[in-house]
Amino acid sequence: MAPPPALPVHPPSGPHHDSKPPKKSQKEMTKAERKELQERQRAAKAEAKASSQPSSSTPAQKKSNKPAEIVPRPPPTPGRAPREATRGAAAVAHETAAGANERGLRIFSHFGLPKAVSAPKGDIHPVTLRLALQFSEFKIVGANARCIATLIAFKTVIQDYVTPQNTTLSRHLMTHLSPQISHLVAARPMSVTMGNAIRQLKLEISGSDIDLPEQDAKDLLCAKIDQYLSERVLAADGIIEENGQKKIKDGDVILTYARSSVVEKVLLAAHESGRRFSVIVVDSRPLLEGKRLLSVLSHAGIKCKYILLPSIGSIITEVSTVIVGAHSIHTNGAVYSRAGTALVAMMAKQHSIPFIVCCETYKFSEGVQLDSFTKNELAPPGDRIATFPLTKPRESLTLANSPHLEVLNPLYDLTPPTSITAVVTEVGIVPPNSISSIPVALGRLL
Amino acid sequence: MTPAESANAATSHRSVDILVSKLRRRQVVGSREAALETLRVLRQVVSKARFSNIDQLVSLIKSVGRRLVEAQPKEHSVGNTVRKILHHIREEYNAASKSNGRKAIKMDLSISNFILQGQMRKQNGALKSEATITLKEDDPRDPDSFARALKPVLMEAIQDVLDELETVYDNISKMAKDHIHPDEIILTIGHSKTVEAFLKSAGHYRNYTVIVAETGPSYSGHTMAKALSAAGISTFLVPDSSIYAIMSRVTKVILGAHAILANGGMFAITGSLLAATAARVHSTPVVVCAGQFKLTPLWNLYHEFGALDFADPSSVLGFEEGNLVDKVEVLNPYYDYVGPEMVDVFITNDGDHPPSSVYRLIKETYDDEDHDL
Repeated sequence: MAPPPALPVHPPSGPHHDSKPPKKSQKEMTKAERKELQERQRAAKAEAKASSQPSSSTPAQKKSNKPAEIVPRPPPTPGRAPREATRGAAAVAHETAAGANERGLRIFSHFGLPKAVSAPKGDIHPVTLRLALQFSEFKIVGANARCIATLIAFKTVIQDYVTPQNTTLSRHLMTHLSPQISHLVAARPMSVTMGNAIRQLKLEISGSDIDLPEQDAKDLLCAKIDQYLSERVLAADGIIEENGQKKIKDGDVILTYARSSVVEKVLLAAHESGRRFSVIVVDSRPLLEGKRLLSVLSHAGIKCKYILLPSIGSIITEVSTVIVGAHSIHTNGAVYSRAGTALVAMMAKQHSIPFIVCCETYKFSEGVQLDSFTKNELAPPGDRIATFPLTKPRESLTLANSPHLEVLNPLYDLTPPTSITAVVTEVGIVPPNSISSIPVALGRLL
Repeated sequence: MTPAESANAATSHRSVDILVSKLRRRQVVGSREAALETLRVLRQVVSKARFSNIDQLVSLIKSVGRRLVEAQPKEHSVGNTVRKILHHIREEYNAASKSNGRKAIKMDLSISNFILQGQMRKQNGALKSEATITLKEDDPRDPDSFARALKPVLMEAIQDVLDELETVYDNISKMAKDHIHPDEIILTIGHSKTVEAFLKSAGHYRNYTVIVAETGPSYSGHTMAKALSAAGISTFLVPDSSIYAIMSRVTKVILGAHAILANGGMFAITGSLLAATAARVHSTPVVVCAGQFKLTPLWNLYHEFGALDFADPSSVLGFEEGNLVDKVEVLNPYYDYVGPEMVDVFITNDGDHPPSSVYRLIKETYDDEDHDL
């Protein structure tokens, strides 16, 4: 099971102890005040949640978390209570004017909105500060890229670390790394890949020899990091490249969604080995990452088509294989990936088109997630990454929340294993229902 | 002037020309707008037309209809309106000639007529010519007497269709509160005026939440979200990519339609197929709100490219991506074809209908001989 790498776990009901003291009586507050309070509660909750479970939560955690989520907060006015109750209780709900003013659904309230990187707490290395900014600005995106960037940054942090008096590296280094990790998490919730890598790093640190000279120990750790990167990420990608391109034949039309570094490598490798095929890049907001993949592929000379996700229904019949990447993959074979992947998988299944996921084994996440709600992340609202067409006048777009209107940009969704044909890993091509056996086969290296 | 000449004169009527060019330039867009314009033109054509028997009148209207349809074949409501008017004209004529003691137009005994027998409810109630007029076809002494006698009832019939079209949103919205219960979570895509009116009307009675998908590349969902939230309905705006994630929490999907086809399928804004399929996978009901004027006696069996209509690709991949523009193919289809198995109910101004009974509605609304104008 995944022990949260960085911080002690808060009691799951933690988010709900907030806001009781300042609450005088909500009836006296203005609408704006109430909204502000709500916003603050949400932020506090998100923060608590992000720090308490940065990687995948264990089922036990989830179980204890869920009821807490449903429990209504101290009811401010009778009118608001029904909105906070579950849908099952909706039948009893009597709407009042106060209820109408309420900002709708609670089911999204736990999605943490990314905040601007706050003032660093504790001793943060400049490399970490920079990385955190790159994360929060979406300059570094993608599970692989973020994991690689984090590990490389940590190599610098480790090299610059000096063990204080009266302690040993194996005991103290982790307390130095913890604030770095939580700073990164504050910038953007941790990816599963980062969680897995950091867990491995912790293991190496605690296992390092006390009698080793400090510099040697640090060098050894950096060598271990390099080994992890080359074995679990780069070499794995190489094998996936080889495995994956076997599935591409002459004359195929390959459809891919958004941008995955592994899929890009597979397609380029297949093209270099002389196979003739064309690619349909499907893309969607909030990130429109497919444009980058499109430019790489078309520069390599691959014939490309580009469409937005809503048009996929028109083009899916031409497709022979769908290949996508993943953010992480769960033991039941469900793939957690860029929002929209599940829609593509669904359409492919409807038309009996093979749906292949390329995923390194270090992306495996123990535990099972059943929907895209328990864990997700929101992209910043507005048009910071300039994803709306320039032909569209800005004033016709809704870029910010207004009364009764909330803009949500979930970044991930969960593709059920039933719509996945195969998962290409560095240990072979496996059906999604055999994912759970891979860690065993690997000797629980994860 | 022979009747044939007069028909020609009317076909080249100025108002027809104007509408033809407006349709061709896409200055008249949207199925209701197009239907309204068509009706106004037809009213003028009928009011100025000279004819001495029913066949002349029908062929005159058909020729005008053909010109309008050819100007913009993708705007199905134009043809539908013409068909509907023809149907009304025949009905009035039949009633009038029956009351004259003459035999009505000969009806072949067929399955379709057999079905019609049971559904004369509309025909019986709404007729204008209550045995008050006498019709004389092809009167050699006074060729205009036929037109003079029939015109007033025809104009009234056209006015009725016009009234129906003008109140279509209200009539559809009337049923909103029977379809939406409190605390529902509704998903809709794009911006359909019918759906907007429907949801707003439900908002007067019920407290519920709407999730609007942006629906790229037009991003018309933004307009919809603004309109709904301004009406005080709690609204969420999400990208198209999260439709699947959110569907598990959605209780109903409400879509608009561009045209409802004879098999119960429909043409609708791109993305409708995606939303409807996701709803099917999650067993969420799909509700389509559409006026009756969108019923189209057409089939779409052989291709997936909705109405084979494409919008400009620059909103998908703009010229800011200059070095890509000439290397890749960019597609931006305008409509999706959503099959009848994806839709649970059509809410029209004429009541709720399952897709399986759309063919019957079409039989009821139009005459078989008008399917090809």
